[in-house]
Amino acid sequence: MLVISRRAGESVLIGEDVEIQVLETGSGRVKLGISAPRAVPVLRNEVRLTRDQNLAAAQEVPLERLATALAQLRSRP
Amino acid sequence: MPQCETKYFGTVSYDDSAAVEFPTGLPGFENCRRFLPIEEAARLPLVFMQSLEQPGLCFLTLQVAAIDPGYQLKMSPEDMASVGFDQPLGTAVDMVCLAVLSIAYADAPTVNLLAPIVVNPRTGRAVQSVRDDAVYLCRQPLVRLQAPCS
Repeated sequence: MLVISRRAGESVLIGEDVEIQVLETGSGRVKLGISAPRAVPVLRNEVRLTRDQNLAAAQEVPLERLATALAQLRSRP
Repeated sequence: MPQCETKYFGTVSYDDSAAVEFPTGLPGFENCRRFLPIEEAARLPLVFMQSLEQPGLCFLTLQVAAIDPGYQLKMSPEDMASVGFDQPLGTAVDMVCLAVLSIAYADAPTVNLLAPIVVNPRTGRAVQSVRDDAVYLCRQPLVRLQAPCS
């Protein structure tokens, strides 16, 4: 992995078309500004994880495999 | 009364007011907007989230409170606005909170507590609200959430 240190206001270019600018840093968070062509999807990683999980979840689910887990959930106080 | 084809229950009649709308779809299913939550007494706390546009699409979800009674919901202002919450969470806001269940990744089912589906019953609108913190897992194994046997 390439590691680059940047300060607020500085940016990084990826290829010809994508620019990532550090807008603000502080309190454990970094605010980024991303300029990219419309065709380049920009997603938070959590959204990608959720998309992948949704695609998997949309597959056929053999309901009998859930019987045990459901019974356990119901039996909890 | 309208009818729809479903993935698990054949043809079902439903009340239009029971349908929920995801104004922006769900991640990976951005074009699927209208769903019908179906509950079966024998399978509670499971809620089937059946697409009204694609009969073959039905998410299995669980009521988050049944999985983790201490779950702390956190939503972005954009997600709150999209379902029509005009008061801060934590006040007595009427809502349904569901976690998408998957059994594809492991032998044991997992639930997505990183991105719960939140329904506002007052507006009939819903959103899969993806958190931006690392407090909950996208693939939380369901079995490990059980209280240990005493």
